[in-house]
Amino acid sequence: MDVDMAVPGFHKVVPSDSKLEVIANDLLFGEGPVWNSKSGEFFWVDIINDTIWKYKKGVGRQIVMRPSYKADGLTFDLEGRLVVAGWAWRRVWRLEHDGSITTLCTEFEGQKLNTPNDIVVKSDGSIYFTDPSGALNNVEMHGDDLQRYMDYHGVFRIDPSGKVTLVVKDFVYPNGLAFSADESLLYINDTRENLIKVYEVNSDGSVQNGRIFCKLVGSEAGVADGMKVDVEGNIYCTGPAGIQIFSPDGNLLGRIKIPGHATNLGFGDDDWKGLYITTYSSVFKVRLGIAGLPVKIN
Amino acid sequence: MNWSFKNIFDTGKRPLGGMAWDGQKMLFADVNDNSIRSFDPSTNALSIERKYTNRVNGIAFGDDGALYGCQEGSRRVIRMLNDGSSTSTATHLLGVPHNHPHLIVSDRQGGFLFTDCYHPMLASGPQVFPMLKHQSVLRLHLGPRPQSHWEIQRVTFDTIRPRGVALSPDRKTLYVSDTTNEFGGRREIRAYPIFEDGTLGPFVLFHTFGEDSKGIHRGAEGLTIDQQGNLFAVAGDNRSGPGPMVYIFSPEGQIITTHQLPDCIPTNCAFGGPNLQSLFVSTEDGKLLMTDNASF
Repeated sequence: MDVDMAVPGFHKVVPSDSKLEVIANDLLFGEGPVWNSKSGEFFWVDIINDTIWKYKKGVGRQIVMRPSYKADGLTFDLEGRLVVAGWAWRRVWRLEHDGSITTLCTEFEGQKLNTPNDIVVKSDGSIYFTDPSGALNNVEMHGDDLQRYMDYHGVFRIDPSGKVTLVVKDFVYPNGLAFSADESLLYINDTRENLIKVYEVNSDGSVQNGRIFCKLVGSEAGVADGMKVDVEGNIYCTGPAGIQIFSPDGNLLGRIKIPGHATNLGFGDDDWKGLYITTYSSVFKVRLGIAGLPVKIN
Repeated sequence: MNWSFKNIFDTGKRPLGGMAWDGQKMLFADVNDNSIRSFDPSTNALSIERKYTNRVNGIAFGDDGALYGCQEGSRRVIRMLNDGSSTSTATHLLGVPHNHPHLIVSDRQGGFLFTDCYHPMLASGPQVFPMLKHQSVLRLHLGPRPQSHWEIQRVTFDTIRPRGVALSPDRKTLYVSDTTNEFGGRREIRAYPIFEDGTLGPFVLFHTFGEDSKGIHRGAEGLTIDQQGNLFAVAGDNRSGPGPMVYIFSPEGQIITTHQLPDCIPTNCAFGGPNLQSLFVSTEDGKLLMTDNASF
């Protein structure tokens, strides 16, 4: 596996003997990687092939849902239900344990959402999601209504009662988002500007004092898309060359070079030291030296 | 008869594209502004009809009253409904996505013909799907299933870069401008007979644009038809050749007359106004021009 080491300690994050393992290599657009700690299964989506997949070592790959209405970002809520940034379906929805679907949000202040892209659940059960408009325009990702109504690309919060609030609206194209371990910080990246911003999280779930955390590094193909944080506060973000890893103060530690165009990443395995990476065509896995923040299921 | 053109709207060099008359207003695509604008000649009002079009260029009303648009930025023809929403039509030719649709004409039987070109600007999103190996005129129509089900067929097999399309009033002739503005390229206006099954016969060449030491004579882009079935084409620029011009051909292919345009790079033409007697011309350098009475 090919890495760019920016600091000498990078092998603590990515051990020098780490290998790139292929989980899937026949996708049209992989996204939404998330680990289910209760079942030991890894979930992801193929947006253009309209499928939510899961994979378990020893069992292989199975379809969770098809069609998936061009679903994109996935995570689990505290009850272990799959919570979905619905992308071309223009909603945030939840897959219940009985297989039924609950719609959580389709509009804000009387306007239909753009196309929810990525999603994260906070420990109080509230759901944060980014809402750029890419699925309205992207070739072969379309849903039923292609018209954009909102004049901004927002980041929204659905509180545990179901109430929706606008968190921020000053992004060109908000995409990946992730909390720090203590949830005092919310990182949100911008695909068009290829940078990560960080916000302080208030007790009511709103955010303040946003600032640029870092710009992504390199001129290779790749953009800010999926993003996650590890237990030591390092930030992992897709970007030029593959996956870029930054220290908590925003300095580049190194880059993991990924064949193809990385779209998102999620931690997994029993010790949360597996890094699962989706690209347009594939799912890869890398074993890390540091555990990622878990996707908590009670 | 001399025509005088008024400058209705000017973006300041941002290209204007397709046009469609809605009975009261001329709709015109401000392609890279991602909007469709309109001009009402009875009030001189300019408005924005629709935003966030992702580079819709050619537009045409269908028999269902909806406005259809060639969404160059998303490689599909979309259907824009009066409630403000929009939906996609078919996007595949023989199982793979087609190129960037450019200009479109209604066949007045529920379907459309559109030109499908390469474009220097990439479509939105991941570049997963390669372009087709050809640039052709495609036919978009509802298939035989009872539910709305769009299908696409290829109708030209001998075009290099089709740009404008127009249909004769009897639906028996398809006019195509095939235009590659480079030395040695093809710049032709062609008339194809349309058979009962929708396929085309061998074309008749109406006009060809040349080249000389000053440069290529810029070929035809947009085409339209008047109520008598005469073909109108806009072509040319001030760099070489006879200059920016409206050409009018009889259905038999004779040039009836030409009309010089003001200094511009014309891209499209369409009739509108009272009794559809005004000719509108949109230009690559961002102008919407109108002549009140395009009689000749």
